[in-house]
This record gives sequence, structure tokens and C-alpha cells, in this order.
Amino acid sequence: MSHCADICLALIFLSVLLGMAANRLMELVKIMAFQGTIVSILPVLLEAGQRDAAGLGFMAVMLTVKGLVMPLALYAAIKKVANLREVEPFVGYRASIFSALALVLAAGFIDRTLAPFMPPTHVMLMPASIATIGAGFFLMMARRKAITQVIGYLMLENGIYLTGIALAGETHSQRLLEFGVLLDLLAGVMIMGIIINRINQTFDDVDTGMLGSLRD
Amino acid sequence: MLKSTLIMLAAMAAAPVLAAITGRVKAWLAGRRGPDWTLNYATLAKLLRKTPVYSRSTTYVFRLGPLVGLATILAALAFLPIAGRPPIFSFAGDVVFVFYLLGLGRFFVVAAALDTASPFEGMGAAREALFGTLAEATVFMVLFLLQQTHGGMSLATYLAATTAGPGMNGAALVLAVIALFMILLTENSRVPVDDPTTHLELTMIHEVMILDHSGPDLAMIEMGGWLKLLFYATFIADIACPFRGGPGDYLLYILALLVIYGGIGLVESITARFRMSLVPKFILTSFALAFFALIFTMEMPG
Repeated sequence: MSHCADICLALIFLSVLLGMAANRLMELVKIMAFQGTIVSILPVLLEAGQRDAAGLGFMAVMLTVKGLVMPLALYAAIKKVANLREVEPFVGYRASIFSALALVLAAGFIDRTLAPFMPPTHVMLMPASIATIGAGFFLMMARRKAITQVIGYLMLENGIYLTGIALAGETHSQRLLEFGVLLDLLAGVMIMGIIINRINQTFDDVDTGMLGSLRD
Repeated sequence: MLKSTLIMLAAMAAAPVLAAITGRVKAWLAGRRGPDWTLNYATLAKLLRKTPVYSRSTTYVFRLGPLVGLATILAALAFLPIAGRPPIFSFAGDVVFVFYLLGLGRFFVVAAALDTASPFEGMGAAREALFGTLAEATVFMVLFLLQQTHGGMSLATYLAATTAGPGMNGAALVLAVIALFMILLTENSRVPVDDPTTHLELTMIHEVMILDHSGPDLAMIEMGGWLKLLFYATFIADIACPFRGGPGDYLLYILALLVIYGGIGLVESITARFRMSLVPKFILTSFALAFFALIFTMEMPG
């Protein structure tokens, strides 16, 4: 089981990296679906994982929302809006990849500093969650389109969920929290879909850079 | 020594038919029958019978290219443990030597392409040199990783079954294998980096460099290409498979090769090649993966 958790965490790092390097929006959505799936099944695979009925049921819900509903919502939003293919970064792809490397190093360092105050858990769980949060922030800042900001937000949430797993340890309190966050997120994605649609109708484009030059 | 030589000869003889697997998988996925299994041998036989044609503007550098290219890959294969068996030659530090042998081969093929003074070939040579240089970063990151997990400085200590140490943990292994597979695609000019079946010189990398070679020279280049593919595929198989030193190793090795060559065919069928400007990003991604794998092993030893 621990072996599977190792591989899952490696795949989370992989998805973070691919997300930073992705240049097509559809690619990014697929990566998010992949990351959502891995993040949802991780708690069951961890050594201290909850493999009872409640845990598995929770996993099923997470899997549906993160791995299926949200990617499909994003997919629908992208399909609806014309000329949404390229990610259009503010920070170039190569610089993004190097930022991902820097993020992972920073995550390792932060984990070392935090370790004494944390409940014992898988060694790579905290670095993975910090790297995912950082990558989510980075995607929100460094990409031009509104939809990539939603995707960055989702990645951020995945990171927060991983932190929740790391912090919760044996208790079940994280589920309550996570359900709340999940609901917020779903609402957020829906609202974002509408807003993106509106921006597109008004400007014939979803470039948020244009919003900076608005005048009366 | 004799056994290692026999294994290497067998692997070399099988290289063309292994390369045919990729073609068959691609054809199968596209709903065609695909080339005959023996096509590559027939190509070799045909090319070897022909008389090479040399342009008057070329010098001895042009004739040296295919020769050195084939010789270096043969020498490199002699250092590589196949199916976990000890290689023919081995010394401390041969990891660096082997990969620079491949670099030497690349240098001569590139020099031969430049020697023809064809602008197309110069363009392909420039791309080959650039992508090869970038790919080296990943290869050496993987070698750092292997040094961390196995110690020592020779391919035999890293990859042979008898001397294998505790080995990599699963997570690092996954990342390293993916990174190496990306390097395999880059180094052997496969989709998504280069398209081996393209007909437009402007978009080629490897094929455009060998436009002027003919007859036995072309045969040497083709054989060199198949052996290079075999080299990288074996490298990945050696890392990924837990060889124990028993007779089951050969079966496992052949299975791994089938998966890798089939995987190349699958990738070529489902992805389009990148714009030339996106290729460095692809190679950098593989570098980052190898780097992650290194961090994984340093954070979680054993």
C-alpha cells in the first residue's frame, strides 16, 4: 500500500510539472482531471488511510467531483467559447518549468521547517501538497486567460486537500471541511463559467489583460 | 565474456525486427496491415548491394560520418548490461565515457551533414546538435540518480543484476522511466520531436541529415539508428525490470522491449509532432522529471 502511495505522490509531482508546461488548454484540463483522480484516491492508499465504508464513500464522491464533474464543466466552458486553444502565458513555458523545479526545492525546504510541528505522515505528502499549492498560485498569476485562473484555483484546492490529509492524521474532521470547500469550488467553477462567457460576449475574447484597460 | 558477447550479438541481430514492431503497432492502430517483419533486413541487404554515390563537393568527412556513427554505438552497446547480464567491457567512470561516445557519433554524423554544404542538411544538423545537447542534461540527471541509489560510476554497477544495490523506490522509478522514455523519443528522432515518415525536408531533423548518403553508407546509418534505439530501450528495461540473474530475465527483458517499442508506436499514433519551438520545452520537462526523481530519492532513501 505504501508503495502505491509513493507512486501516487510521484504522479502528483508529475501532474504539477505537466500543468506548468502545458501549452494547450485541453491538455491542461486533462491534466487537472488526472490530478483530481490521483488526489482523490490517495487517502485510501496511505499507510494510515481510512479504508472503511465511510472512507471509500468519501473517495467515491471526491472522485466524481474532482475527476469527472469539474473537468467536464471546464471542458464545456472551453468548448463554448471560441478561440480558446493556447494557454497564453505571461511567464514563458521554459521559465515555468524552472519555476516548478524551484517550487519543489522550496516545498522540500518548507517541509523540513514544518516537520517538528506536524503529525507523522508520509514523507513526501507535505512537499507534494506545498508544491501543488504553489503551482496553483503560479498558474493563476502567470497565465493570461480567465479559464486558466479557474484551473489554477482548482490546483490550489487539490493542494489544500493534500494538506488536509497530512494534518488530519487519524481524525475525520477533514471530511467536513473538505465537503464545504468542494461545494464552494463547484459554485466557483459554475460562476466562473458564466463570467467567462460574459467577458467573451463583451470583448470577443477571454483575455483578462483587456480588463486592465477598462475606461468609463 | 563470451556469453556477454553472444547476448550482445543476438540483441544486435534482433534490433531491425524490434524496430519493425513500432511500424506494425502504428499500422495496426491505423487499421492497415503494416510492413513485413523482415522488411528492415531486406532494406539492409538492398542497400549493401548498391554502390555509394559521392558528391564532388564532399570530402573524407562525409564518408567518415556513417562509419564513426555505427562504430560508436557498437562500442557503447558493449558497455551496456543487456537483460541484467554483465557487459563485455566495464571500468569505473564508463558512464561518462559511454554517453560521450554517443556524443562523438553524433558529432561525426552532424559533421558529415555539414560537409555536403546543403542548406537543408545544415538546418537538420543544427537541430540535432541543439536537441542532443539539451537531452544530455536529462541523461546526466538520471545518472546522478543512479549514482545515488547504486553508488559507483559504471553502467555495470547501475544496471547489472548481480551487483544491483537496494534499488530505487517506486516513485523515483516511475519519474525516471518516463524521463528516459522522453529522451528515447528525442534521441531517436521519433514523434513528437521528429517524424521519421515525413516528406518535407523543412520539418525534418534526422532524415534531412542523411539525404545525401546512399548504398552501404545509408545501411550503416540505418543500422546505427536501430542500435541506438535498442541502446536506449535496453537502458530503460534494465532500470525498470527487477532482474534476478536467473533464466527468467531474458523473457522479462524481451517483454520489456516489446512494451517499449509498442509504446513508441502508440505514442506516434496518438500524438502529433510538436512545433519546432516546443521541442526544447519537451526536453526540459524530461529534465525536470529526472530532477524530481533525484529529490525523491534524496528525501526518501531506501
